[in-house]
Amino acid sequence: MLKYSLKRILLAFITAFIIITLTFFLVKSLPVTRSFAPQENIKLAYYLTEVDKGVLIDVGVESPQFGTYIEKITHNSIDHYFYKKPIIDQYFAWLSRIVTKWDWGVSQFISPNISTTTIIMDRLPVSVKINVISVIISVPLGILLGIVAGLNKNTWVDHTISTLVMIFISIPTFVIISFMMYFFAFKGSLPIRWPTDDATTKVKVLAYLIPVLSLSFGSICHYCRNVRAELCEVMSSEYLILARTKGLTRRQAIVRHALRNAFVPILPSILGEFIGVFTGSMVLENLYNINGIGDLYITALKNQDYNVLFADMAIFTTIGLLAGIVTDLSYGFIDPRIRMGAKK
Amino acid sequence: MENNKDFEFTNLPIEAQDAEISASDFKLVDNSNRVHEQKFLTKPTTFFKDSLKRFYKNKSSVVAAGILGTLLLLSFAVPIFDRNDIEKEHPEMIYLEPKLFNAGTGFWDGTKNWTGIAVDVGGHPDATTEEEKQEFWWPSPDDFKKEAVTNKVFTDITYTSDKNELAHGGYVQFGIGGDGDAESVEMSSFVIDSLDIETGDIYLKNFITYDLEKLLSVEGEKAFFPDNYIQGKASFAFNYYVDVDGKDVRRSITLLEENSVFEVSSLNLTDIIKADPYVVSNNITEFKDANFSLVMKKSDGKKNECVLIKALEFETTNSAKDKILPASFIEGNEFMLRSVDDKENIEAYWNCTGYKKLHMAQVIYCDFIYDSYGAVFGIMPMDHYKLSLSDIFKYESKNWCDFDYVPETGPDGKYYITYSFTVLSDKCPLREITNVSIEPLYGEEIYVDGIVDYAKYYGYDSAPRFLLGTDKNGRDMFKYVFEGLRTSLLLGLASFIVCFLFGLIYGSVSGYFGGNVDLVMERITDILSGLPWIVVMTLTILHLGQNFFTFGLAICLTGWIGTASLTRTQFYRFRGREYVLASRSLGASDARLIAKHILPNAMGTIITSAVLMIPSVIFSEATISYLGLGLKGMSSLGVILSDNQTQLTVHPYLLIFPAIVIALLMISFNLFGNGLRDAVNPSLKGEEQ
Repeated sequence: MLKYSLKRILLAFITAFIIITLTFFLVKSLPVTRSFAPQENIKLAYYLTEVDKGVLIDVGVESPQFGTYIEKITHNSIDHYFYKKPIIDQYFAWLSRIVTKWDWGVSQFISPNISTTTIIMDRLPVSVKINVISVIISVPLGILLGIVAGLNKNTWVDHTISTLVMIFISIPTFVIISFMMYFFAFKGSLPIRWPTDDATTKVKVLAYLIPVLSLSFGSICHYCRNVRAELCEVMSSEYLILARTKGLTRRQAIVRHALRNAFVPILPSILGEFIGVFTGSMVLENLYNINGIGDLYITALKNQDYNVLFADMAIFTTIGLLAGIVTDLSYGFIDPRIRMGAKK
Repeated sequence: MENNKDFEFTNLPIEAQDAEISASDFKLVDNSNRVHEQKFLTKPTTFFKDSLKRFYKNKSSVVAAGILGTLLLLSFAVPIFDRNDIEKEHPEMIYLEPKLFNAGTGFWDGTKNWTGIAVDVGGHPDATTEEEKQEFWWPSPDDFKKEAVTNKVFTDITYTSDKNELAHGGYVQFGIGGDGDAESVEMSSFVIDSLDIETGDIYLKNFITYDLEKLLSVEGEKAFFPDNYIQGKASFAFNYYVDVDGKDVRRSITLLEENSVFEVSSLNLTDIIKADPYVVSNNITEFKDANFSLVMKKSDGKKNECVLIKALEFETTNSAKDKILPASFIEGNEFMLRSVDDKENIEAYWNCTGYKKLHMAQVIYCDFIYDSYGAVFGIMPMDHYKLSLSDIFKYESKNWCDFDYVPETGPDGKYYITYSFTVLSDKCPLREITNVSIEPLYGEEIYVDGIVDYAKYYGYDSAPRFLLGTDKNGRDMFKYVFEGLRTSLLLGLASFIVCFLFGLIYGSVSGYFGGNVDLVMERITDILSGLPWIVVMTLTILHLGQNFFTFGLAICLTGWIGTASLTRTQFYRFRGREYVLASRSLGASDARLIAKHILPNAMGTIITSAVLMIPSVIFSEATISYLGLGLKGMSSLGVILSDNQTQLTVHPYLLIFPAIVIALLMISFNLFGNGLRDAVNPSLKGEEQ
């Protein structure tokens, strides 16, 4: 088990490394077509930082052997011609920075010359807060609905729940969010956008309603559907019939046998979901003006701030892989019948 | 045991069994019939037919398939048969509401209830009765056309101290602060340059200020004195200069004394001047530089004081009109509030040494029903920007109407035009001519005024009905949505085919050969499936552009993994089966084994699971379009939803219908896919993907 776990973690690490490397090359080869902020000192500071980090070369005279310069700045009557280093050089410079200093570069446009990690750490708490609340609400509710539907299989209760689940799982998130904003914020009394820091406590609390609800819908449906499917399967299994013939009441049989077995595939996915709270929802954060990590992705993309975009991509990749590992490995811990990595 | 006869033998006593049996003891039971293999009494069935039968039993899937089929049909039929143009912009037809029934039915009739719209008083604040209000007051902004507004109801009045064009009425608050700086302040305005006393009749028609007691009970109005202010003491005077022996002498007539209740209804100023002893004694016939001034003196050094002035109207009845500056103010927020700093209307303003501001101007709100079709396609007075004389000649050349005019020079040297106009055909957009005139402004051009049927002007026989309304470019949403749906479906289908084929081959090879080949191929899928789809799409689109092909490519880059891993599992399941072994021992090649023996068995499961990829592709495309990275130059459902996102509060129908279509598509696709899978692969029934 331990050996298997280590192997999985190592594999995931390698996968993440390869993906991030690929992403690095793809992101860094993107052209920056927008112009920089007008302030000379900010521009110069950024370029000098990039020179320091091994991304650019700073030359005093125009040197065609480095290609075409990206910017020429004259500061204190000294000419600076900034040239891009070859991507492969940039890559190794980046790698050594990551390994030695955990340095992901600085932002170019969003908040110039602020370190990417600072920006991300600033924006992470909001996303995590909303996601955690949403998970805390949606997991019990989804499981409860799933159990109700599964135990009343093929009755009107089941049909109602299943239909609702099907509908909500089919409607795109942005449609749900838009209409929630329309009915509850524009026509109702909820805030129409994420409040700023100086808003009153009441507004701040109310502002959680739409994001949390809209995130919960999908999650509730997901859990409800899975729990129902698992429960239906377990309810028709032979050991449950045996349990009943032994003399257990239906209640005892369900609580002690059916539910425990039905939860084997559910619990790992809950763990995976808790890992996933570190990635924000892009659509929600973009629509509701939440300055979270999902919105950062869109902002970085639109602003062509590729250092930030790259770091954000790396987070999404890592979290995704991590959630996968946790889900897989926890199967083995939860259900002793499953031997991970055992020879077939 | 009715037919015991055949078994008689066994029923005999043991001794008798040993008895010899002769051939004659045997007889044929049925001599006439020969027994052959019999045909099945039930009909034979194939796997496909069986699946179909199972599919039909699942009612929800059948309904979903029906909806899906309808959507598919519409997505191809509507763009072909709907003749409305959605390529060009139609600025005249923007934001038409969805219309199916006649206007007035109240539902889906192209009208919209607007609530809480501030009204523009349009220079008629005097309108007091309900009819007058209906006649003169119009909702603002000007985008609302008079002809299309019905059921106007005034709902609310708010009071404001901000100058804005929708605020009307109210008072001018003129006053002095409590800091003790100034002992008196003045507000004044020039009204007359020079005027003959005998011939120029001028009247001060209304001048009303209010004191505190009066203000609180003004005609039942909800009036109140400004906070922290007390009633001040002010006097109102009319000043003018007269020329005596080449010297200007200033004369001042106090019209209203301090502390009197200021209320003048009509005062003939000329009479007052004539009665001025100085004027009489010097035989003065002309006065000049006349002005009004309101002087306020401080009575209590510690408090803020002010007077509230309701209305001043100043007019003349004869030709002296031209010499009087437009000094009247009938609204608190109009003339009296103008100061020299105002860039507009600089010729007439009120100087002020204290302060003046608006107090309690009303903003009136109304609810009404607006028929957007009536505003665009109705029969309305002619709009010169749209219809000109050359258009009328064009109609005449088509024999739709007959128009003749003869310009004549009148006795005063001006042109007059006699004209005749008859409508010959129903197709003629111009229904009636009310006036033909020559405007000398732009080279004596002839202008025609008339009543125009704008539906015919835009080329329709009668006003069109846009089932789902039109968007910001005047595009028919019905056609636009279904064209978007077609793009989305095509993208989904194309990606599905590519991904499915590639995934099938990849999974077959990986699953069939196993071992090291499988190991390597699995690692590749591991890496690719570790890439978040949003990252893949973003990078592909950023590198290759926002077109249809790129979108397909971005989806296909990781889209095939699901099919591949499913195929691989199926191959693991089937490759060791006896029939495969048998074929192999007969010398079948790997390709033949894969294509002819294993794949057909696995195909049902794979294809039914893979079909569910189509909705997920549409879903992904819609989401990424919504985030602003959508298709360029093509409409997809995501692009439409994303384009109209900002209109959610004003024109929600622009989002509701595409949203319903995409939701319907998703729901029916998922139901259909699940039903198909259950039918093809009964052992998976109940499982959810």
